[in-house]
Amino acid sequence: MIVVTIPKFTSIQIYPPRNHTKDRHPRRTYLVLSSEFSHSEPTSIAHEAKRRCDCFDIYKETVPYAEAWSWQKSIVKERKALIEQDEDCSDTLIILQHHPVYTLGTASTEKNLNFDISDAPYGVYRTERGGEVTYHGPGQLIMYPIVNLRYHKMDLHWYLRALEEVVIRVLSNTFSIKAFRLEGLTGVWVGDQKLAAIGIRVSRWITYHGLALNVTTDLTPFQEIVPCGIRDRRVGSIKGVLRDHVSCDEYGKAKMHLSDEQLVDITHKSLVKEFCKVFQVEICHRPIPMQMFSQGKLPTLATNENIS
Amino acid sequence: MASRLWASRAASYLRISTTFNRSFSTVLKDLKYADSHEWVKVEGSSATVGITDHAQDHLGDVVYVELPEVGAAVTQGGSFGAVESVKATSDINSPVSGKVVEVNEVLSDSPGLVNGSPYENGWIIKVELSNADELKSLMDADKYSKFCEEEDAKH
Repeated sequence: MIVVTIPKFTSIQIYPPRNHTKDRHPRRTYLVLSSEFSHSEPTSIAHEAKRRCDCFDIYKETVPYAEAWSWQKSIVKERKALIEQDEDCSDTLIILQHHPVYTLGTASTEKNLNFDISDAPYGVYRTERGGEVTYHGPGQLIMYPIVNLRYHKMDLHWYLRALEEVVIRVLSNTFSIKAFRLEGLTGVWVGDQKLAAIGIRVSRWITYHGLALNVTTDLTPFQEIVPCGIRDRRVGSIKGVLRDHVSCDEYGKAKMHLSDEQLVDITHKSLVKEFCKVFQVEICHRPIPMQMFSQGKLPTLATNENIS
Repeated sequence: MASRLWASRAASYLRISTTFNRSFSTVLKDLKYADSHEWVKVEGSSATVGITDHAQDHLGDVVYVELPEVGAAVTQGGSFGAVESVKATSDINSPVSGKVVEVNEVLSDSPGLVNGSPYENGWIIKVELSNADELKSLMDADKYSKFCEEEDAKH
């Protein structure tokens, strides 16, 4: 396990830099350096068997959007068939990254694109998820949970809050970054920056699409859109938040010597852990079905077993 | 049973309060209801379909309604459109089978009618029924009210 090197001193509060013009809470503390890597242990429910969640984890791979989208839909179709036969026993979680792409939701307006859709810098997909336009690209971890809300809570608001909770805990427990929700602006915020965007589709209580968390993402492509239709706030990344605050540190020794790859690794591990805790599921890693992807798209995969 | 325990454990562990509303939602007597929270009003061989007060209440503010094409076929239990609210788009399923003869175009500009007037101005499609027998499998107002109470009580 990679451990973040953090100097040993008691918690200090770091206030945002003074030129943080858009910060509406100038005294809000949103990064606290603590003296050790913090963990929160779950409340023990050892007597309860947790619902199984099959995890297709290709978090280091950048996958074409169309392939992943079609994969999700095929899983949803299978799940609905299982529900008809009363055999739906497990949820699914897909974790991956995407090649650069813009995606729109059902109600998205092209007014939130700062380019002509016929001359777009990257592919643009109009999808069946909720939410406005967003960008996906390398360095951004995507989670597509395909859960049957009948086994969790048949409440879309709960589900959205739960997805936010996963990310909030990752940021807090792993990076000591204080992130929060904003009522009416679904997603996860640090200061005035949105680090995670969420948009879902629900069909017969089966969810798909999900969340996108900027870890080391190049945020430049977000300038070509009005992300999520929100004009007066910014998009951020974990790397950006850490870099801003480490450079502010008056003690000078709090340097984060983490490569982008390490940052993605740490975030991924934490995302899986917090997802399991929030949704009370037990992850069961599954090999990726090769027929779901074109040949040569995922050269690093070592297996070509089919899902059983 | 186990699923209820999972859900309640998860909710209490998260200590998340939901927008869950225990107040009584309106249920109209002369309509039929599907367990996916759509209503149907039958007049001869044609039917008007929408989502119930209970459904719109749980969804929150509807920002978009995806309508089918006039002439499209619908089947009982099959999805024919979608409603979007709070970053979540949900299927709307047809309580009856038949052909779409009219869609409520007003919803394109005023999706909020689904919230404000779910049984009247917020109607979604009109269908020419292909099988009136299907109505027998739907719930009446009393059964639907009870169904909603039981569903809400589970979570």
